[in-house]
Amino acid sequence: MLGKLQDLSPKKQHIYSIIFSLLCMTIATGISSIYYYYVNENSANIALIFILFIIIISCNTRGYFYGIFCSLFTVVWFNYVYTYPVFMLNLSASGYPITFLVMTTIAVIISTLTSHLVLQSQMVKEQEHRLAEADGEKMRANLLRAISHDLRTPLSGIIGNSSMYTNGHASMCDAEKLEIVKNIQEDATWLFNMVENLLTVTRINNDDMTIKTNIESVEEVVGEAAMRVCKRHPDSSVNVDCPMDLIMIPMDAILIEQVIINLLENALKHSGKKNTVDLIVRDTPTNVIFTIRDYGNGIPEKKLNSLFDGTPYTPSQNADVLKGIGIGLVICKTIVTAHQGTIIGQNHDKGAEFVFTLPKLKEESL
Amino acid sequence: MTSKLNVLLIEDDKNICAFVSKFLNQNGYRVTTAHTGKEGLSLAASICPHIILLDLGLPDIDGCDVLRQIRNWSSIPIIIISARTKEHDKVDALDLGADDYITKPFGIDELMARIRTSLRHSRSNTLEKTYKALDLEINFEKRMIFLNGEQIHLTQIEYQLLTLLAENSGKVLTYNQIMSTIWGPYVDSNNQILRVNMANIRRKIEKNPAQPEYVFTEIGIGYRMLENENL
Repeated sequence: MLGKLQDLSPKKQHIYSIIFSLLCMTIATGISSIYYYYVNENSANIALIFILFIIIISCNTRGYFYGIFCSLFTVVWFNYVYTYPVFMLNLSASGYPITFLVMTTIAVIISTLTSHLVLQSQMVKEQEHRLAEADGEKMRANLLRAISHDLRTPLSGIIGNSSMYTNGHASMCDAEKLEIVKNIQEDATWLFNMVENLLTVTRINNDDMTIKTNIESVEEVVGEAAMRVCKRHPDSSVNVDCPMDLIMIPMDAILIEQVIINLLENALKHSGKKNTVDLIVRDTPTNVIFTIRDYGNGIPEKKLNSLFDGTPYTPSQNADVLKGIGIGLVICKTIVTAHQGTIIGQNHDKGAEFVFTLPKLKEESL
Repeated sequence: MTSKLNVLLIEDDKNICAFVSKFLNQNGYRVTTAHTGKEGLSLAASICPHIILLDLGLPDIDGCDVLRQIRNWSSIPIIIISARTKEHDKVDALDLGADDYITKPFGIDELMARIRTSLRHSRSNTLEKTYKALDLEINFEKRMIFLNGEQIHLTQIEYQLLTLLAENSGKVLTYNQIMSTIWGPYVDSNNQILRVNMANIRRKIEKNPAQPEYVFTEIGIGYRMLENENL
Protein backbone atom coordinates (compact mmCIF):
# COMPACT_ATOMS: atom_id res chain seq x y z
CA MET A 1 0.00 0.00 0.00
CA LEU A 2 2.69 2.46 1.03
CA GLY A 3 4.97 1.56 -1.82
CA LYS A 4 2.16 2.46 -4.17
CA LEU A 5 1.54 5.68 -2.28
CA GLN A 6 5.16 6.75 -2.60
CA ASP A 7 5.09 6.46 -6.37
CA LEU A 8 2.45 9.19 -6.59
CA SER A 9 3.17 12.92 -6.68
CA PRO A 10 2.82 14.77 -3.32
CA LYS A 11 -0.44 16.38 -4.38
CA LYS A 12 -1.93 13.05 -5.34
CA GLN A 13 -0.63 11.54 -2.09
CA HIS A 14 -2.60 14.16 -0.13
CA ILE A 15 -5.73 13.66 -2.17
CA TYR A 16 -5.39 9.93 -1.65
CA SER A 17 -4.87 10.45 2.11
CA ILE A 18 -7.95 12.66 2.44
CA ILE A 19 -10.16 10.21 0.57
CA PHE A 20 -8.75 7.31 2.53
CA SER A 21 -9.32 9.04 5.88
CA LEU A 22 -12.88 10.04 4.97
CA LEU A 23 -13.63 6.51 3.89
CA CYS A 24 -12.26 5.02 7.09
CA MET A 25 -14.12 7.50 9.28
CA THR A 26 -17.35 6.74 7.43
CA ILE A 27 -16.88 3.01 7.85
CA ALA A 28 -16.02 3.47 11.53
CA THR A 29 -19.09 5.62 12.05
CA GLY A 30 -21.22 3.10 10.20
CA ILE A 31 -20.04 0.15 12.28
CA SER A 32 -20.28 2.13 15.50
CA SER A 33 -23.80 3.32 14.70
CA ILE A 34 -24.99 -0.22 14.04
CA TYR A 35 -23.32 -1.35 17.25
CA TYR A 36 -24.79 1.58 19.17
CA TYR A 37 -28.25 0.93 17.78
CA TYR A 38 -28.31 -2.75 18.75
CA VAL A 39 -26.25 -2.86 21.97
CA ASN A 40 -26.46 0.72 23.23
CA GLU A 41 -24.61 0.06 26.47
CA ASN A 42 -20.90 -0.24 26.18
CA SER A 43 -19.63 2.90 24.50
CA ALA A 44 -16.02 1.94 25.31
CA ASN A 45 -16.20 -0.62 22.48
CA ILE A 46 -17.18 2.12 20.08
CA ALA A 47 -14.11 4.06 21.17
CA LEU A 48 -12.02 0.98 20.42
CA ILE A 49 -13.53 0.66 16.94
CA PHE A 50 -12.57 4.27 16.23
CA ILE A 51 -9.07 3.73 17.56
CA LEU A 52 -8.68 0.73 15.27
CA PHE A 53 -9.56 2.85 12.27
CA ILE A 54 -7.24 5.63 13.42
CA ILE A 55 -4.40 3.10 13.39
CA ILE A 56 -5.37 2.03 9.86
CA ILE A 57 -5.47 5.65 8.74
CA SER A 58 -2.10 6.46 10.30
CA CYS A 59 -0.49 3.50 8.59
CA ASN A 60 -1.82 4.34 5.17
CA THR A 61 -1.58 8.10 4.88
CA ARG A 62 1.22 10.54 4.39
CA GLY A 63 2.77 12.15 7.50
CA TYR A 64 1.34 12.69 11.00
CA PHE A 65 -1.38 15.10 10.11
CA TYR A 66 -4.21 12.80 9.02
CA GLY A 67 -3.89 10.44 11.98
CA ILE A 68 -3.87 13.21 14.60
CA PHE A 69 -6.62 15.16 12.92
CA CYS A 70 -8.82 12.09 12.75
CA SER A 71 -8.19 11.23 16.39
CA LEU A 72 -9.17 14.73 17.54
CA PHE A 73 -12.18 14.61 15.27
CA THR A 74 -13.07 11.21 16.68
CA VAL A 75 -13.08 12.50 20.26
CA VAL A 76 -15.48 15.29 19.39
CA TRP A 77 -17.60 13.09 17.13
CA PHE A 78 -17.70 10.34 19.79
CA ASN A 79 -18.87 12.81 22.38
CA TYR A 80 -21.42 14.30 20.03
CA VAL A 81 -23.02 11.12 18.74
CA TYR A 82 -22.46 8.21 21.07
CA THR A 83 -22.55 9.65 24.59
CA TYR A 84 -25.48 10.96 26.54
CA PRO A 85 -26.88 13.44 25.73
CA VAL A 86 -26.91 12.25 22.16
CA PHE A 87 -26.20 14.84 19.42
CA MET A 88 -24.84 17.35 21.88
CA LEU A 89 -21.35 18.19 23.01
CA ASN A 90 -21.11 17.60 26.73
CA LEU A 91 -17.81 17.42 28.49
CA SER A 92 -19.09 17.57 32.04
CA ALA A 93 -21.04 14.30 32.57
CA SER A 94 -19.47 12.22 35.32
CA GLY A 95 -16.61 9.96 34.19
CA TYR A 96 -16.72 11.21 30.62
CA PRO A 97 -13.97 13.81 30.86
CA ILE A 98 -11.51 11.08 31.81
CA THR A 99 -12.67 8.83 28.96
CA PHE A 100 -12.21 11.67 26.52
CA LEU A 101 -8.86 12.64 27.90
CA VAL A 102 -7.56 9.07 27.78
CA MET A 103 -9.02 8.50 24.33
CA THR A 104 -7.46 11.67 22.97
CA THR A 105 -4.08 10.72 24.39
CA ILE A 106 -4.25 7.15 23.10
CA ALA A 107 -5.38 8.26 19.67
CA VAL A 108 -2.69 10.91 19.36
CA ILE A 109 0.07 8.59 20.63
CA ILE A 110 -0.93 5.76 18.32
CA SER A 111 -1.21 7.96 15.32
CA THR A 112 2.20 9.54 16.02
CA LEU A 113 3.74 6.12 16.58
CA THR A 114 2.41 4.57 13.41
CA SER A 115 3.25 7.60 11.32
CA HIS A 116 6.72 7.45 12.75
CA LEU A 117 6.91 3.78 11.83
CA VAL A 118 5.88 4.54 8.28
CA LEU A 119 8.52 7.25 8.02
CA GLN A 120 11.15 4.92 9.41
CA SER A 121 10.38 2.16 6.95
CA GLN A 122 10.64 4.74 4.19
CA MET A 123 14.03 5.77 5.49
CA VAL A 124 15.24 2.17 5.61
CA LYS A 125 14.15 1.71 2.02
CA GLU A 126 16.01 4.82 0.93
CA GLN A 127 19.07 3.68 2.82
CA GLU A 128 19.00 0.33 1.04
CA HIS A 129 18.64 2.05 -2.30
CA ARG A 130 21.62 4.27 -1.50
CA LEU A 131 23.71 1.25 -0.48
CA ALA A 132 22.88 -0.54 -3.72
CA GLU A 133 23.87 2.58 -5.62
CA ALA A 134 27.13 2.75 -3.75
CA ASP A 135 27.82 -0.88 -4.65
CA GLY A 136 27.30 -0.09 -8.30
CA GLU A 137 29.55 2.94 -7.95
CA LYS A 138 32.23 0.82 -6.35
CA MET A 139 32.05 -1.73 -9.15
CA ARG A 140 32.35 1.02 -11.73
CA ALA A 141 35.30 2.53 -9.89
CA ASN A 142 37.04 -0.85 -9.76
CA LEU A 143 36.46 -1.32 -13.46
CA LEU A 144 37.84 2.10 -14.31
CA ARG A 145 40.91 1.51 -12.19
CA ALA A 146 41.52 -1.82 -13.90
CA ILE A 147 40.97 -0.33 -17.34
CA SER A 148 43.33 2.59 -16.92
CA HIS A 149 46.05 0.24 -15.80
CA ASP A 150 45.46 -2.56 -18.24
CA LEU A 151 44.83 -0.64 -21.43
CA ARG A 152 47.90 1.54 -21.15
CA THR A 153 50.38 -1.33 -21.33
CA PRO A 154 49.43 -2.80 -24.73
CA LEU A 155 48.84 0.67 -26.16
CA SER A 156 52.37 1.73 -25.26
CA GLY A 157 53.54 -1.48 -26.92
CA ILE A 158 51.66 -0.74 -30.12
CA ILE A 159 52.74 2.89 -30.29
CA GLY A 160 56.35 2.05 -29.45
CA ASN A 161 56.64 -0.80 -31.92
CA SER A 162 54.95 1.03 -34.78
CA SER A 163 57.05 4.18 -34.33
CA MET A 164 60.14 1.99 -34.22
CA TYR A 165 59.07 0.50 -37.54
CA THR A 166 58.25 3.80 -39.28
CA ASN A 167 61.51 5.40 -38.13
CA GLY A 168 63.89 2.55 -38.72
CA HIS A 169 62.41 0.09 -41.21
CA ALA A 170 65.09 0.89 -43.81
CA SER A 171 67.83 -0.54 -41.65
CA MET A 172 65.94 -3.58 -40.34
CA CYS A 173 66.18 -7.13 -41.54
CA ASP A 174 63.03 -9.14 -42.31
CA ALA A 175 63.18 -11.08 -39.07
CA GLU A 176 63.23 -7.86 -37.04
CA LYS A 177 60.33 -6.43 -39.00
CA LEU A 178 58.33 -9.60 -38.53
CA GLU A 179 59.06 -9.52 -34.81
CA ILE A 180 57.76 -5.97 -34.53
CA VAL A 181 54.59 -6.66 -36.49
CA LYS A 182 53.96 -9.78 -34.43
CA ASN A 183 54.25 -7.77 -31.23
CA ILE A 184 51.80 -5.23 -32.55
CA GLN A 185 49.42 -7.99 -33.53
CA GLU A 186 49.64 -9.57 -30.11
CA ASP A 187 48.99 -6.32 -28.29
CA ALA A 188 46.13 -5.44 -30.61
CA THR A 189 44.49 -8.83 -30.16
CA TRP A 190 44.78 -8.43 -26.44
CA LEU A 191 43.28 -4.95 -26.57
CA PHE A 192 40.44 -6.26 -28.67
CA ASN A 193 39.65 -8.94 -26.12
CA MET A 194 39.56 -6.33 -23.42
CA VAL A 195 37.29 -4.01 -25.37
CA GLU A 196 35.01 -6.94 -26.09
CA ASN A 197 34.91 -7.63 -22.38
CA LEU A 198 33.99 -4.04 -21.63
CA LEU A 199 31.33 -4.07 -24.33
CA THR A 200 29.70 -7.14 -22.89
CA VAL A 201 29.40 -5.34 -19.58
CA THR A 202 27.25 -2.70 -21.26
CA ARG A 203 24.63 -5.45 -21.55
CA ILE A 204 24.18 -5.11 -17.80
CA ASN A 205 21.61 -2.48 -16.92
CA ASN A 206 23.52 0.44 -15.44
CA ASP A 207 20.89 1.59 -12.95
CA ASP A 208 20.14 -1.55 -11.02
CA MET A 209 22.80 -4.01 -12.24
CA THR A 210 20.22 -6.36 -13.72
CA ILE A 211 20.34 -8.39 -16.92
CA LYS A 212 17.98 -9.92 -19.42
CA THR A 213 18.11 -13.70 -19.07
CA ASN A 214 16.94 -16.54 -21.26
CA ILE A 215 16.74 -20.21 -20.47
CA GLU A 216 19.97 -21.60 -21.89
CA SER A 217 21.54 -25.02 -22.11
CA VAL A 218 24.63 -25.05 -19.92
CA GLU A 219 26.57 -27.54 -22.07
CA GLU A 220 26.16 -25.35 -25.15
CA VAL A 221 27.50 -22.24 -23.45
CA VAL A 222 30.34 -24.13 -21.81
CA GLY A 223 31.21 -25.93 -25.05
CA GLU A 224 31.21 -22.76 -27.12
CA ALA A 225 33.42 -20.94 -24.59
CA ALA A 226 35.90 -23.83 -24.49
CA MET A 227 35.99 -23.96 -28.29
CA ARG A 228 36.72 -20.26 -28.63
CA VAL A 229 39.56 -20.51 -26.13
CA CYS A 230 41.01 -23.57 -27.89
CA LYS A 231 40.89 -21.68 -31.19
CA ARG A 232 42.84 -18.79 -29.72
CA HIS A 233 45.34 -21.07 -27.99
CA PRO A 234 45.81 -24.05 -30.32
CA ASP A 235 48.55 -25.62 -28.18
CA SER A 236 46.42 -25.79 -25.06
CA SER A 237 43.77 -28.26 -24.03
CA VAL A 238 40.58 -27.66 -22.11
CA ASN A 239 38.88 -30.70 -20.59
CA VAL A 240 35.18 -30.11 -20.24
CA ASP A 241 33.37 -32.29 -17.74
CA CYS A 242 29.63 -31.68 -17.88
CA PRO A 243 26.91 -33.90 -16.36
CA MET A 244 25.07 -36.13 -18.84
CA ASP A 245 21.72 -34.64 -17.83
CA LEU A 246 20.74 -31.58 -19.81
CA ILE A 247 20.84 -28.53 -17.53
CA MET A 248 18.85 -25.50 -18.56
CA ILE A 249 19.14 -22.36 -16.43
CA PRO A 250 18.31 -18.68 -16.90
CA MET A 251 21.27 -16.55 -17.94
CA ASP A 252 22.59 -14.07 -20.45
CA ALA A 253 24.57 -16.61 -22.46
CA ILE A 254 26.95 -14.10 -24.03
CA LEU A 255 27.90 -12.74 -20.61
CA ILE A 256 28.41 -16.16 -19.04
CA GLU A 257 30.42 -17.26 -22.06
CA GLN A 258 32.62 -14.21 -21.46
CA VAL A 259 33.08 -15.19 -17.81
CA ILE A 260 34.15 -18.71 -18.77
CA ILE A 261 36.46 -17.43 -21.52
CA ASN A 262 38.10 -14.96 -19.14
CA LEU A 263 38.64 -17.58 -16.47
CA LEU A 264 39.96 -20.15 -18.96
CA GLU A 265 42.34 -17.65 -20.54
CA ASN A 266 43.55 -16.52 -17.13
CA ALA A 267 44.15 -20.13 -16.20
CA LEU A 268 46.13 -20.75 -19.39
CA LYS A 269 48.14 -17.54 -19.10
CA HIS A 270 48.91 -17.50 -15.43
CA SER A 271 49.28 -21.10 -14.48
CA GLY A 272 52.83 -21.33 -15.74
CA LYS A 273 53.89 -23.90 -18.31
CA LYS A 274 51.19 -26.56 -18.11
CA ASN A 275 48.60 -25.88 -20.74
CA THR A 276 45.84 -28.08 -19.39
CA VAL A 277 42.75 -26.63 -17.81
CA ASP A 278 39.74 -28.46 -16.42
CA LEU A 279 36.30 -26.98 -16.78
CA ILE A 280 33.91 -28.84 -14.51
CA VAL A 281 30.17 -28.29 -14.28
CA ARG A 282 28.20 -29.70 -11.37
CA ASP A 283 24.47 -29.66 -10.81
CA THR A 284 22.96 -29.15 -7.35
CA PRO A 285 19.27 -28.75 -6.50
CA THR A 286 19.56 -24.96 -6.22
CA ASN A 287 22.69 -24.01 -8.15
CA VAL A 288 24.90 -24.94 -11.05
CA ILE A 289 28.57 -24.85 -10.04
CA PHE A 290 31.28 -24.09 -12.61
CA THR A 291 34.88 -24.83 -11.66
CA ILE A 292 37.86 -23.74 -13.77
CA ARG A 293 40.92 -25.52 -12.45
CA ASP A 294 44.51 -25.18 -13.61
CA TYR A 295 47.63 -27.09 -12.63
CA GLY A 296 50.18 -24.33 -12.29
CA ASN A 297 51.72 -22.06 -9.72
CA GLY A 298 48.54 -21.14 -7.90
CA ILE A 299 47.47 -17.71 -6.74
CA PRO A 300 49.93 -15.88 -4.47
CA GLU A 301 48.74 -15.89 -0.88
CA LYS A 302 48.56 -12.11 -0.54
CA LYS A 303 46.50 -11.71 -3.72
CA LEU A 304 43.77 -14.10 -2.64
CA ASN A 305 41.77 -11.42 -0.87
CA SER A 306 41.91 -8.79 -3.56
CA LEU A 307 41.41 -10.88 -6.71
CA PHE A 308 38.23 -9.18 -7.81
CA ASP A 309 38.84 -5.54 -6.92
CA GLY A 310 40.74 -4.49 -10.01
CA THR A 311 44.27 -4.18 -8.71
CA PRO A 312 46.78 -5.66 -11.14
CA TYR A 313 48.09 -9.12 -10.58
CA THR A 314 51.83 -9.42 -11.05
CA PRO A 315 53.71 -12.37 -9.62
CA SER A 316 57.41 -11.62 -9.54
CA GLN A 317 58.65 -14.29 -12.00
CA ASN A 318 57.30 -12.99 -15.27
CA ALA A 319 55.52 -9.76 -14.69
CA ASP A 320 55.37 -8.52 -18.26
CA VAL A 321 53.40 -11.42 -19.71
CA LEU A 322 50.77 -11.13 -17.07
CA LYS A 323 48.71 -8.17 -17.98
CA GLY A 324 45.02 -7.95 -17.99
CA ILE A 325 43.86 -10.18 -15.21
CA GLY A 326 42.66 -6.99 -13.52
CA ILE A 327 39.77 -6.15 -15.83
CA GLY A 328 38.97 -9.75 -16.63
CA LEU A 329 38.22 -10.75 -13.05
CA VAL A 330 36.37 -7.55 -12.17
CA ILE A 331 34.15 -8.19 -15.17
CA CYS A 332 33.60 -11.81 -14.15
CA LYS A 333 32.57 -10.68 -10.70
CA THR A 334 30.27 -8.00 -12.10
CA ILE A 335 28.59 -10.46 -14.45
CA VAL A 336 28.18 -13.28 -11.94
CA THR A 337 26.85 -10.88 -9.30
CA ALA A 338 24.31 -9.54 -11.80
CA HIS A 339 23.13 -13.15 -12.20
CA GLN A 340 22.70 -13.44 -8.40
CA GLY A 341 25.58 -15.91 -8.36
CA THR A 342 28.84 -16.06 -6.44
CA ILE A 343 32.45 -16.31 -7.53
CA ILE A 344 35.59 -17.19 -5.59
CA GLY A 345 39.22 -17.85 -6.40
CA GLN A 346 41.27 -20.28 -4.35
CA ASN A 347 44.22 -22.65 -4.47
CA HIS A 348 44.02 -26.43 -4.54
CA ASP A 349 46.82 -29.01 -4.15
CA LYS A 350 48.26 -28.58 -7.63
CA GLY A 351 47.29 -25.08 -8.73
CA ALA A 352 44.56 -22.51 -8.71
CA GLU A 353 40.83 -22.78 -9.25
CA PHE A 354 37.99 -20.36 -9.76
CA VAL A 355 34.51 -21.44 -8.81
CA PHE A 356 31.36 -19.61 -9.74
CA THR A 357 27.74 -20.55 -9.19
CA LEU A 358 24.56 -19.59 -10.98
CA PRO A 359 21.16 -20.01 -9.34
CA LYS A 360 18.61 -22.30 -10.93
CA LEU A 361 15.12 -21.32 -11.76
CA LYS A 362 12.65 -22.44 -9.10
CA GLU A 363 10.75 -25.54 -10.19
CA GLU A 364 7.27 -24.01 -10.13
CA SER A 365 8.17 -21.19 -12.51
CA LEU A 366 9.74 -23.49 -15.10
CA MET B 1 40.00 -20.89 -62.84
CA THR B 2 39.46 -19.15 -66.15
CA SER B 3 37.43 -16.13 -65.13
CA LYS B 4 37.84 -14.39 -61.79
CA LEU B 5 35.02 -14.39 -59.29
CA ASN B 6 33.57 -10.97 -58.50
CA VAL B 7 33.29 -9.95 -54.87
CA LEU B 8 31.43 -6.81 -53.83
CA LEU B 9 32.59 -5.47 -50.49
CA ILE B 10 30.22 -2.96 -48.87
CA GLU B 11 32.09 -1.58 -45.88
CA ASP B 12 32.65 1.97 -44.69
CA ASP B 13 35.97 1.44 -42.91
CA LYS B 14 38.79 2.18 -45.34
CA ASN B 15 41.39 0.10 -43.50
CA ILE B 16 39.26 -3.02 -43.54
CA CYS B 17 38.39 -2.45 -47.20
CA ALA B 18 42.06 -2.10 -48.06
CA PHE B 19 43.27 -5.27 -46.41
CA VAL B 20 40.32 -7.45 -47.37
CA SER B 21 40.50 -6.44 -51.02
CA LYS B 22 44.26 -6.85 -51.08
CA PHE B 23 43.97 -10.33 -49.67
CA LEU B 24 41.10 -11.39 -51.90
CA ASN B 25 42.97 -10.09 -54.93
CA GLN B 26 45.95 -12.21 -53.98
CA ASN B 27 43.64 -15.22 -53.81
CA GLY B 28 42.26 -14.74 -57.27
CA TYR B 29 39.07 -12.77 -56.66
CA ARG B 30 38.20 -9.47 -58.28
CA VAL B 31 37.05 -7.05 -55.58
CA THR B 32 34.86 -3.99 -55.98
CA THR B 33 34.36 -1.84 -52.88
CA ALA B 34 31.51 0.43 -51.87
CA HIS B 35 31.71 2.69 -48.83
CA THR B 36 28.01 3.50 -48.48
CA GLY B 37 24.81 1.53 -48.71
CA LYS B 38 23.54 3.46 -51.75
CA GLU B 39 26.78 2.95 -53.63
CA GLY B 40 26.65 -0.72 -52.68
CA LEU B 41 23.09 -1.14 -53.96
CA SER B 42 23.84 0.43 -57.34
CA LEU B 43 27.06 -1.57 -57.70
CA ALA B 44 25.28 -4.78 -56.77
CA ALA B 45 22.83 -4.15 -59.62
CA SER B 46 25.43 -3.07 -62.17
CA ILE B 47 28.28 -5.55 -61.72
CA CYS B 48 26.26 -8.60 -60.64
CA PRO B 49 28.86 -9.94 -58.22
CA HIS B 50 29.15 -13.63 -57.35
CA ILE B 51 29.18 -12.83 -53.65
CA ILE B 52 28.59 -9.77 -51.48
CA LEU B 53 30.31 -8.98 -48.18
CA LEU B 54 28.08 -6.56 -46.31
CA ASP B 55 28.91 -4.57 -43.19
CA LEU B 56 25.80 -4.00 -41.08
CA GLY B 57 26.96 -0.64 -39.70
CA LEU B 58 26.89 1.60 -42.76
CA PRO B 59 26.83 5.40 -42.57
CA ASP B 60 23.79 6.07 -44.78
CA ILE B 61 21.38 3.09 -44.86
CA ASP B 62 20.94 0.34 -42.31
CA GLY B 63 22.75 -2.80 -43.45
CA CYS B 64 19.53 -4.83 -43.05
CA ASP B 65 17.76 -2.52 -45.50
CA VAL B 66 20.52 -3.02 -48.05
CA LEU B 67 20.13 -6.74 -47.55
CA ARG B 68 16.35 -6.58 -47.94
CA GLN B 69 16.59 -4.56 -51.13
CA ILE B 70 19.13 -6.89 -52.71
CA ARG B 71 17.04 -9.91 -51.73
CA ASN B 72 14.10 -8.37 -53.56
CA TRP B 73 15.67 -9.16 -56.89
CA SER B 74 18.57 -11.52 -56.32
CA SER B 75 19.74 -14.55 -54.41
CA ILE B 76 23.44 -13.68 -54.61
CA PRO B 77 25.18 -15.12 -51.55
CA ILE B 78 25.60 -12.39 -48.95
CA ILE B 79 27.94 -12.63 -45.99
CA ILE B 80 27.30 -10.22 -43.15
CA ILE B 81 30.20 -8.52 -41.38
CA SER B 82 29.26 -7.42 -37.88
CA ALA B 83 30.38 -6.79 -34.33
CA ARG B 84 30.03 -9.65 -31.92
CA THR B 85 27.95 -8.10 -29.18
CA LYS B 86 25.04 -7.27 -31.47
CA GLU B 87 23.65 -10.74 -31.91
CA HIS B 88 20.16 -9.42 -32.66
CA ASP B 89 21.37 -7.68 -35.80
CA LYS B 90 23.01 -10.87 -36.95
CA VAL B 91 19.92 -12.97 -36.31
CA ASP B 92 17.75 -10.41 -38.12
CA ALA B 93 20.11 -10.34 -41.06
CA LEU B 94 20.27 -14.13 -41.27
CA ASP B 95 16.49 -14.42 -41.04
CA LEU B 96 16.23 -11.81 -43.79
CA GLY B 97 18.17 -14.09 -46.09
CA ALA B 98 21.84 -13.45 -45.49
CA ASP B 99 23.82 -16.64 -46.11
CA ASP B 100 26.30 -16.37 -43.29
CA TYR B 101 28.00 -13.91 -41.01
CA ILE B 102 31.51 -13.17 -39.84
CA THR B 103 32.42 -11.32 -36.69
CA LYS B 104 34.81 -8.37 -36.54
CA PRO B 105 37.72 -8.62 -36.15
CA PHE B 106 38.03 -11.68 -38.33
CA GLY B 107 41.00 -13.67 -39.43
CA ILE B 108 41.49 -13.74 -43.15
CA ASP B 109 41.42 -17.55 -43.20
CA GLU B 110 38.02 -17.52 -41.58
CA LEU B 111 36.74 -15.08 -44.18
CA MET B 112 38.07 -17.22 -47.03
CA ALA B 113 36.42 -20.32 -45.59
CA ARG B 114 33.08 -18.52 -45.28
CA ILE B 115 33.28 -17.22 -48.84
CA ARG B 116 34.10 -20.68 -50.19
CA THR B 117 31.25 -22.29 -48.26
CA SER B 118 28.71 -19.72 -49.39
CA LEU B 119 29.80 -19.91 -53.02
CA ARG B 120 29.63 -23.68 -52.95
CA HIS B 121 26.14 -23.70 -51.49
CA SER B 122 24.94 -21.18 -54.05
CA ARG B 123 26.30 -23.27 -56.93
CA SER B 124 25.24 -26.78 -55.98
CA ASN B 125 21.64 -26.85 -57.11
CA THR B 126 21.22 -30.55 -56.60
CA LEU B 127 21.08 -31.79 -53.06
CA GLU B 128 23.95 -33.94 -51.94
CA LYS B 129 23.22 -37.62 -51.48
CA THR B 130 25.62 -38.15 -48.60
CA TYR B 131 27.28 -36.22 -45.83
CA LYS B 132 30.64 -37.16 -44.43
CA ALA B 133 32.81 -35.43 -41.84
CA LEU B 134 35.33 -37.05 -39.50
CA ASP B 135 33.66 -40.31 -38.39
CA LEU B 136 30.10 -39.30 -39.18
CA GLU B 137 28.29 -40.33 -42.35
CA ILE B 138 24.74 -39.60 -43.38
CA ASN B 139 23.03 -41.24 -46.34
CA PHE B 140 20.14 -38.93 -47.19
CA GLU B 141 18.54 -41.35 -49.65
CA LYS B 142 18.50 -44.35 -47.34
CA ARG B 143 17.90 -42.11 -44.32
CA MET B 144 20.71 -43.75 -42.40
CA ILE B 145 23.36 -42.34 -40.11
CA PHE B 146 26.66 -44.01 -39.31
CA LEU B 147 29.23 -43.15 -36.69
CA ASN B 148 32.51 -45.07 -37.09
CA GLY B 149 30.64 -47.36 -39.48
CA GLU B 150 28.00 -48.23 -36.90
CA GLN B 151 24.44 -47.21 -37.48
CA ILE B 152 23.01 -44.57 -35.14
CA HIS B 153 19.29 -44.47 -34.39
CA LEU B 154 17.62 -41.11 -34.16
CA THR B 155 13.99 -40.18 -33.65
CA GLN B 156 12.08 -38.65 -36.55
CA ILE B 157 12.56 -35.07 -35.32
CA GLU B 158 16.21 -35.66 -34.46
CA TYR B 159 16.84 -37.06 -37.93
CA GLN B 160 15.14 -34.10 -39.61
CA LEU B 161 17.11 -31.69 -37.47
CA LEU B 162 20.46 -33.32 -38.14
CA THR B 163 19.89 -33.64 -41.89
CA LEU B 164 18.72 -30.03 -42.13
CA LEU B 165 22.00 -28.95 -40.57
CA ALA B 166 23.99 -31.41 -42.68
CA GLU B 167 22.41 -30.19 -45.92
CA ASN B 168 23.51 -26.69 -44.94
CA SER B 169 26.81 -27.82 -43.48
CA GLY B 170 29.31 -25.04 -42.84
CA LYS B 171 26.52 -22.47 -42.73
CA VAL B 172 24.90 -21.10 -39.64
CA LEU B 173 21.15 -21.69 -39.32
CA THR B 174 19.24 -19.49 -36.88
CA TYR B 175 16.91 -20.92 -34.26
CA ASN B 176 14.00 -19.39 -36.17
CA GLN B 177 15.00 -20.96 -39.46
CA ILE B 178 15.38 -24.38 -37.88
CA MET B 179 12.18 -24.15 -35.85
CA SER B 180 10.04 -23.05 -38.77
CA THR B 181 11.50 -25.66 -41.12
CA ILE B 182 10.95 -28.56 -38.75
CA TRP B 183 7.99 -27.56 -36.62
CA GLY B 184 6.29 -25.33 -39.17
CA PRO B 185 5.82 -21.58 -39.34
CA TYR B 186 3.35 -21.33 -36.48
CA VAL B 187 5.54 -22.84 -33.79
CA ASP B 188 5.88 -20.60 -30.75
CA SER B 189 9.11 -18.73 -30.37
CA ASN B 190 10.27 -20.66 -27.33
CA ASN B 191 13.13 -22.76 -28.66
CA GLN B 192 13.59 -25.05 -25.65
CA ILE B 193 12.26 -28.00 -27.63
CA LEU B 194 15.03 -27.41 -30.14
CA ARG B 195 17.67 -27.32 -27.39
CA VAL B 196 16.40 -30.54 -25.91
CA ASN B 197 16.43 -32.33 -29.27
CA MET B 198 19.90 -30.99 -29.99
CA ALA B 199 21.11 -32.24 -26.60
CA ASN B 200 19.75 -35.71 -27.45
CA ILE B 201 21.43 -35.73 -30.85
CA ARG B 202 24.72 -34.71 -29.30
CA ARG B 203 24.48 -37.53 -26.79
CA LYS B 204 24.17 -39.94 -29.69
CA ILE B 205 26.85 -38.61 -32.03
CA GLU B 206 29.37 -36.61 -29.99
CA LYS B 207 32.05 -38.11 -27.74
CA ASN B 208 31.59 -35.25 -25.28
CA PRO B 209 28.35 -33.29 -25.77
CA ALA B 210 29.97 -30.30 -24.07
CA GLN B 211 32.85 -30.31 -26.57
CA PRO B 212 31.03 -31.01 -29.84
CA GLU B 213 32.89 -31.98 -32.99
CA TYR B 214 30.00 -32.00 -35.45
CA VAL B 215 27.29 -29.57 -34.44
CA PHE B 216 28.49 -26.26 -33.02
CA THR B 217 26.47 -23.73 -31.08
CA GLU B 218 26.54 -20.10 -32.12
CA ILE B 219 25.34 -18.53 -28.90
CA GLY B 220 22.23 -16.43 -29.27
CA ILE B 221 22.07 -17.22 -32.99
CA GLY B 222 21.74 -20.86 -33.89
CA TYR B 223 23.70 -23.93 -34.93
CA ARG B 224 26.36 -24.67 -37.49
CA MET B 225 27.39 -28.14 -38.63
CA LEU B 226 30.88 -29.19 -39.60
CA GLU B 227 31.50 -28.84 -43.33
CA ASN B 228 30.63 -31.82 -45.55
CA GLU B 229 33.85 -33.40 -46.77
CA ASN B 230 32.09 -34.78 -49.85
CA LEU B 231 31.51 -31.32 -51.28
